[in-house]
Amino acid sequence: MTQPLLDIAGLAVSYGTTNRRVPAVRNVSFAIAPGEAYGLIGESGSGKTTIAFAVMGHLNGGRVDAGRILFRDRDILALSPQELASLRGRSIAMVYQDPLSSLNPTLRVGEQVAEGIRHHRGLSHRAAAAEAASLLDQVHLPDPARLMLRYPHELSGGQQQRVVIAMALACRPQLLIMDEPTTGLDVTTEAVILDLVAELRSALGVAILFISHNLGVVRRVCDRIGVLYAGELMEEGRTEKVLQRPRHPYTRSLLRSIPEIGRRSERLASIAGSLPDLTSLPSGCIFHPRCPEARDICASAAPPVEEVEPGHISRCHFARDLPDALAEDTASASMKDLPEGRKPLLRVVDLEMHYVRSRRFGPFGRTIRVPALSGVGIEVAAGETLAIVGESGSGKSTLARCIVGLAAPTGGSIEFEGTPLTATRPRATRRDIQIIFQNPEAALNPFHTVAEIIARPLRLYGLREGPAIRQRVIELLDAVKLGERFSTHYPRELSGGEKQRVSIARAFAAEPRLVICDEPTSALDISVQAALLNELKELQRRYGTSYLFISHDLSVVRHIAERVAVMYLGLILETGPTAEVFQPPHHPYTEALISAVPTVSPVDRGPVLRLQGSVPDPANPPAGCVFHTRCPRKLGRVCETDAPPWRHTSAGRAYACHIPPEDLLALQQQPTTETDRPLPEMEEPHER
Amino acid sequence: MSLSRLILRRVALLALVLVAVSLLTFAIVNILPGDVATAILGESATPADLAALRSRMGLDLPLGTRYLTWIGHMLRGDFGTSLAFNLPVAPILLWRLGNSAILAALVLIISVPCALTLGVVAAVYEGSLLDRFLSLAAVFTFALPEFVIGLVLILVFSILYPVLPGSSLMEPGLNPLSQPLALVLPILVLVLHQLAHLSQITRASMINALGSNYVRAARLKGLPPALVVVKHALRNALAPAIAEVGMNFGYVLGGLVVVETLFSYAGVGQLMVMSVENRDVPTLEATVLVIAVAYGVGNLLADIVSLRLNPRLRS
Amino acid sequence: MAMPKQSRGALLFLLTVILLIALGPWIAPYPATEFHSRHILEGPGTTYLLGTDEFGRDVLSRILWGARPTLLLALASAGLGVLLGTPTGLIAGYFGGRLDEILMRVMDVLMSFPALILAMLIVVMMGPNPVNVVLAIGVVFWPRSARLVRSVSQDLARREFIEAAKARGEAHVFILGRELLPNVLSILVVDFTLRVAAAILLTASLSYLGVGVVPPTPAWGLMVRDGQQFLQNAPWLVLFPCLAIALVSVGTVLVGDYLRRRVAVPGGERIA
Repeated sequence: MTQPLLDIAGLAVSYGTTNRRVPAVRNVSFAIAPGEAYGLIGESGSGKTTIAFAVMGHLNGGRVDAGRILFRDRDILALSPQELASLRGRSIAMVYQDPLSSLNPTLRVGEQVAEGIRHHRGLSHRAAAAEAASLLDQVHLPDPARLMLRYPHELSGGQQQRVVIAMALACRPQLLIMDEPTTGLDVTTEAVILDLVAELRSALGVAILFISHNLGVVRRVCDRIGVLYAGELMEEGRTEKVLQRPRHPYTRSLLRSIPEIGRRSERLASIAGSLPDLTSLPSGCIFHPRCPEARDICASAAPPVEEVEPGHISRCHFARDLPDALAEDTASASMKDLPEGRKPLLRVVDLEMHYVRSRRFGPFGRTIRVPALSGVGIEVAAGETLAIVGESGSGKSTLARCIVGLAAPTGGSIEFEGTPLTATRPRATRRDIQIIFQNPEAALNPFHTVAEIIARPLRLYGLREGPAIRQRVIELLDAVKLGERFSTHYPRELSGGEKQRVSIARAFAAEPRLVICDEPTSALDISVQAALLNELKELQRRYGTSYLFISHDLSVVRHIAERVAVMYLGLILETGPTAEVFQPPHHPYTEALISAVPTVSPVDRGPVLRLQGSVPDPANPPAGCVFHTRCPRKLGRVCETDAPPWRHTSAGRAYACHIPPEDLLALQQQPTTETDRPLPEMEEPHER
Repeated sequence: MSLSRLILRRVALLALVLVAVSLLTFAIVNILPGDVATAILGESATPADLAALRSRMGLDLPLGTRYLTWIGHMLRGDFGTSLAFNLPVAPILLWRLGNSAILAALVLIISVPCALTLGVVAAVYEGSLLDRFLSLAAVFTFALPEFVIGLVLILVFSILYPVLPGSSLMEPGLNPLSQPLALVLPILVLVLHQLAHLSQITRASMINALGSNYVRAARLKGLPPALVVVKHALRNALAPAIAEVGMNFGYVLGGLVVVETLFSYAGVGQLMVMSVENRDVPTLEATVLVIAVAYGVGNLLADIVSLRLNPRLRS
Repeated sequence: MAMPKQSRGALLFLLTVILLIALGPWIAPYPATEFHSRHILEGPGTTYLLGTDEFGRDVLSRILWGARPTLLLALASAGLGVLLGTPTGLIAGYFGGRLDEILMRVMDVLMSFPALILAMLIVVMMGPNPVNVVLAIGVVFWPRSARLVRSVSQDLARREFIEAAKARGEAHVFILGRELLPNVLSILVVDFTLRVAAAILLTASLSYLGVGVVPPTPAWGLMVRDGQQFLQNAPWLVLFPCLAIALVSVGTVLVGDYLRRRVAVPGGERIA
């Protein structure tokens, strides 16, 4: 490597009091060359954010126990506050995870970009403002002059992140630290932000330290990556090497627990156990308690840093012995066929629902109607999984709320086994349809024990009585792999994954026919998500329950659902069997969604397609086809005036678009842009 | 929505609230168990006296008519006749309202900037000796009734070391600013009370702002610390603090009642207490209503300042 | 585990207060209303520890006798306020919509009087006796408690465990009582403590202004009011009741403050 721009050696950072120190980062070393993009990968608690802020010289209560951080041969940890201040924002700048909270709510956007320019480069107000405008233009924000006068909350999430990026680039830094910059953004927004990062990097030659939990995102941006686990660097190397020939069991497990859009398997590999308690670390290799390859030596001796090939290192005793292929340890089953001719369990016809947005202030003002669902129709058969895919604002959660009876539709009908359902419905009907929510933190009452929570449906619906209740609670705890010892716990004593398991147990306690899963894994770490998806599948097999699976994550959907419906602005744009929907010809919106999903493995995915702009105001949906304002394949006037017809391409498969299937197919089968050699072991045979 | 329209709405809302307030005042006086005539004449009054008073005051008319007559008169500036002084209430009330306004204004002018400064300093040096002292002082001055602080101050500054007058008694019609020394102790009592509470509120919202992601982002931009505190943190901490000034205005007004009584200062608060002692119901009603209006207007002003400071509230 | 200094202090204070309420009259050296006509306006000394008033009544005894009415009045009125405010706030926050609108506008009107003014008006018009003082202060606290509980329950009502209960088909009463109430309990305890402190201030101010309990009840505020005319010559008449008010009210605020901090700690243990 040439002279590195950033060189971290033996870094150790700890938090807490003298009595109870938590060593968050231990003995981490890596270097970044000028202009290079380096990715730090890790799950929550891995210490990746601590490292990012340490490079900024911001330890936030943490203490550096050992090591140094050299930036152009100067140790950041030894700088005076003044020297640090002149470095920050000028030579090293940062882009944060949550753009809205990182922007000052009371300052205009333009000023927030300009103030750094004035301060570091000594420009006048006028010159700095002009410079800020050109920066906003460079990050492709429309009409910078006007946008500069707006406040952060008036911008969309994607625009906010662009502003934060412009702010970071204000003084042409040599190093840009990006801490989960796309987490919390919609897939299509994420894709355009990542494109922007790549574009800026090649234009400005800035080096990037990219922090993320998402391997696919890192793959898209970084030249080299380092994998962190519980505060230690486990593996490091060139991105494609690490992702395709991982030399550390943790990296391997992580890769196998990701549902990939390009493949479909019956079970995901999950990582047993959970992150170790940082205050009492396991001896030997810190990963050994969870490692599938662990042997005796792993518990006794800390593994050396092994350079398996030039530039690719792994901290594992058996780094050289690991098999090349990422073998699937579970058999992949063929896809279930559509339940044809069977009567649907749930039938939703032309469902409409609008919220009344109040513009009242006291007794004055008027109300406006904001449509959330504008004529949605779906059917779910017994025992099948239908996934609803859509970005935020698509109406997918409203649909779920209508079906479980939390919201009253304003039009259309919901039938369950032929019986129409309204928001006020008998308890027996409510029992049949249960729901699992997205946020495990809020789904359980913090003042009830796990046993009380799971027992409640049993009591409410009179399913068990007396001692049988406890019996059943234990059965259910076992079914979600928690075990009896959890029954006396309070939710605050559980991890996110454990909480979500309790939610699942509570839903299944009611012995439901249909379970609505509203993004049940989106708040969890990758390895936990894999385990949970597996359990949901197993429960379905055991009880024959139907799932309505709501998600924004196409990879997860691909993994779990038999059929998919794609929603946008309260309408379904496409529906069909999962495997078919993921193949062209599909609706341009589906195409853009698929194209946006970051993947770990390089797969042939058709031409790159990006959506510009943001989802229109639902109070004012576009006429004609609702998607025409952002559609990259828009035909012309007809899209703006006429609602698109439904095109049926095969049994149970249809999309709503003015473009006929043949034309779409021709458009969508153009040569690929990703030319990397596909790895045979990552592919599923039945997909080809 | 534009700022001026928002303000217009708040003003309209205030008008409605004031109507409700007048109804409630009227209701408490006229409908609650307890008879107005008995309240005025005392338990020992003869039925004949009570009846005579009732018909003189129009208490025998239907409630609705009485309310409309009363509020109609109030709106035209006719606040009725004081039973104690046998004079129209309006001129007395007006003069005293001015006096109270002078007192309240001086208290706010002194306490608000001081409290904001103290709060910011305490937040920036969180955990320092100064911070801890201020927190403790805040608990004490907050927990002590105004009359306790006032009496202690009188004891010290006008009895032990007689440097300041312990009473603000003055000739009717006089401007209280003409005897500034007499104002010192009443103002001091109210300022101490305000200062403590308000500086703690400022401190809390300032600490909140200093711990926010946007302040961290500003620091990591390499901006100088003073600029970060003033431009980024204080700007955001100010809105909740100002809103609190509005909420606190009620305590200032309540405090006025106590302090004016304690120092015999001729303000609305003292008038209210006097009318209670004299069982002067018309004056009491009028005073309460005037205080409620002042409270409403004070809150409105604080609201408008908050709206100006916080762009998020405007959408 | 050793108790933190602060919680030991809080506990000690609570015990003292309870003892005062229970035993005040028994520890007092003399009956509160006993006249010692030969010892009028005597300064603090060995016979009369804190001196005597213009009727020769023992100041210490009056303070001890006065503890009970002062504290009971404060506890009762704070209790009434929280008792009225909790259901109002829970219902407004949980149901939302028009019901919330109506309830909160009513609360707004009650809030548009400064606390002391409204309490005074009510007590004056209903007649000065302890029950009316409690009622008046309870009404003054009602909207303040209701607003607090509403803001918390409104936030909670959007949480998914409440949604889950609704989706299960739980009765509203169950959701309000079993799902929401336990979650606001810790906040209610804090609110109650701080209201007790405020009620001590309000009752003291009311009796100081001559509204509220009537003589010869030995209320502390009343003692200050009566003693004020002798400030020059017998400052102990004012000083000691003031000190009593200060001690109890500062103590209560400290306990409330301590509880508030405890509750604000993320993942903190539940209180009560």
